Amino acid sequence: MIAPAIILYTSFNLYPILSSLNMVTRKWQGMRTTYIGLGNFARMLNDKIFWQSLGHNFLFMGIQIPIMIMLALVLAAILNQVRRGRGTLRTIFFLPCVTSLVAYSVLFRMLFQTNGLLNNLLMKLELIQSPIGWLNDPGWARATIMIALTWRWTGYNMVFFIVGMQNISNEIFEAAEVDGANKRQQFFRITMPLLRPVILFSLVTSISGTMQLLDEPNVLTWEGGPANATMTAALYIYRQAFVLNSDFGYAAALSYIVVIITAGFAFTQMKLLGRRD
Amino acid sequence: MTVARRFTFSRLLVWIFLAAIVIVSLFPFFWMLIGTTLNPNAVVAGVVIPGKEFPLNWNKAIKNYNLPVYFLNSLKIATLTVLLGVLVNSLAAFGFEKYRSNAREKVFSVFMLSLMMPQIALVIPLFKLMSSLRLLNTHAAIILPALMSPFIIFFMRQNFQMFPTEIMEAARIDGAREIYIFFRIVVPSMKASFVSAGIYMFLSQWNSYLWPLMTILSEEKKTLPIAISSMMRAYTIEYGAVMIIVGISIVPVLVLYLAMQKEFVSGLLGSVKG
Repeated sequence: MIAPAIILYTSFNLYPILSSLNMVTRKWQGMRTTYIGLGNFARMLNDKIFWQSLGHNFLFMGIQIPIMIMLALVLAAILNQVRRGRGTLRTIFFLPCVTSLVAYSVLFRMLFQTNGLLNNLLMKLELIQSPIGWLNDPGWARATIMIALTWRWTGYNMVFFIVGMQNISNEIFEAAEVDGANKRQQFFRITMPLLRPVILFSLVTSISGTMQLLDEPNVLTWEGGPANATMTAALYIYRQAFVLNSDFGYAAALSYIVVIITAGFAFTQMKLLGRRD
Repeated sequence: MTVARRFTFSRLLVWIFLAAIVIVSLFPFFWMLIGTTLNPNAVVAGVVIPGKEFPLNWNKAIKNYNLPVYFLNSLKIATLTVLLGVLVNSLAAFGFEKYRSNAREKVFSVFMLSLMMPQIALVIPLFKLMSSLRLLNTHAAIILPALMSPFIIFFMRQNFQMFPTEIMEAARIDGAREIYIFFRIVVPSMKASFVSAGIYMFLSQWNSYLWPLMTILSEEKKTLPIAISSMMRAYTIEYGAVMIIVGISIVPVLVLYLAMQKEFVSGLLGSVKG
């Protein structure tokens, strides 16, 4: 029964990964390859754009993930209290995350044009004097990516938090109520600590997703633009292999860095989760 | 616990906050619908009143942009992935759960380990493999690597834990073969799990972008996501028609989600409980 899965896994997962061990030691020139040992890894040390791209991944993580998780927690806490319309609200908040990355990136690209709807609206409300270069200014382009990520993933994380909150026994809150704890104290002293495993799970999936970010900077801010301001590690690797140089050896070597970082995060998660028991 | 439901200022703030989030969540969808009825300039300018150009945009989407071709490609690829993938993964999950051995547990943990592998690290050597198999620019190149999914195996295994082993033993005593037990007893009684695994696989294949972008070169083989992103590359963009195509790429997903919400969400949550 397991055989078909093993065959597929070996052919399209294990074999490619093992073959990349050979790939990273070679330099591609068209169809021909030459052995260069650790040359690709030496080259990467001086690749400023790659490290900058990786820096963008960490920037997005550091700013966007905390905002999104806080927002998702607040929404979950509110929906947990609401009686009427909870199901409908949950459906609506979850909706963004079923749309394809390309579809929503295209929609956001149109909305965030310099002469587009968002700028027009902000100008009509007199919140800004002149249009913001959402897609043209490096800083704003990064902000646009983070806004888009928050739009798509907040509801997704919220659903996990809602279920986590429902699993907390009501008696704990009643006891706290009797002891005179107000809603805010209950949230920070009871809900948050008991939700820790769920929050950790969200953190890890978000971190690993942000490490692999590619579709949004490729479609929404266009090929990591403006001037590589939203270039991410994965997009840079993709472009090394398929758009710019067709240097698969170098691209594979760069992807090892992403693997190592992702594994590092996963390892930390296991440590953190393990400590709880 | 009874809480007095009074109208207070903070309750009002909470409702305003919720309303704002509802508007922000839904607005892009609403705007997409409006956009399908507008001419390109009006779309860019951000007009939010429905226009009259839907038929014109529809024609452009079909004739200039080959919408039916991309739609059918996406549908074919996602459907085949679901049909074959659910079979392969559920069989494997059933094997792991109900016919345990040390060797199988080892294989299972290798599978789970590969869940952590970033996609970008896999697709580059996978591309080389597909090129040596002469499968580049075929739909098989998109379907084959997506069939075996560690996540779906994990998900189905969690579900099979709930399937009572006694029933299997009873069937064996009656002389049923293992494969018969799986198809005639397990599959019919666990339809919901199979459906949510199928939806999950459909969504991820329907929405997948990077791998098809790498492998598909010719226009007539493109899927919706890569066709849409290459439309945005053109010098002049028929925004109204693009809105229709984006809409068409979202609609099946929305329908699936709204129809199967319960199964889908509980399926997602099954992955946390593990």
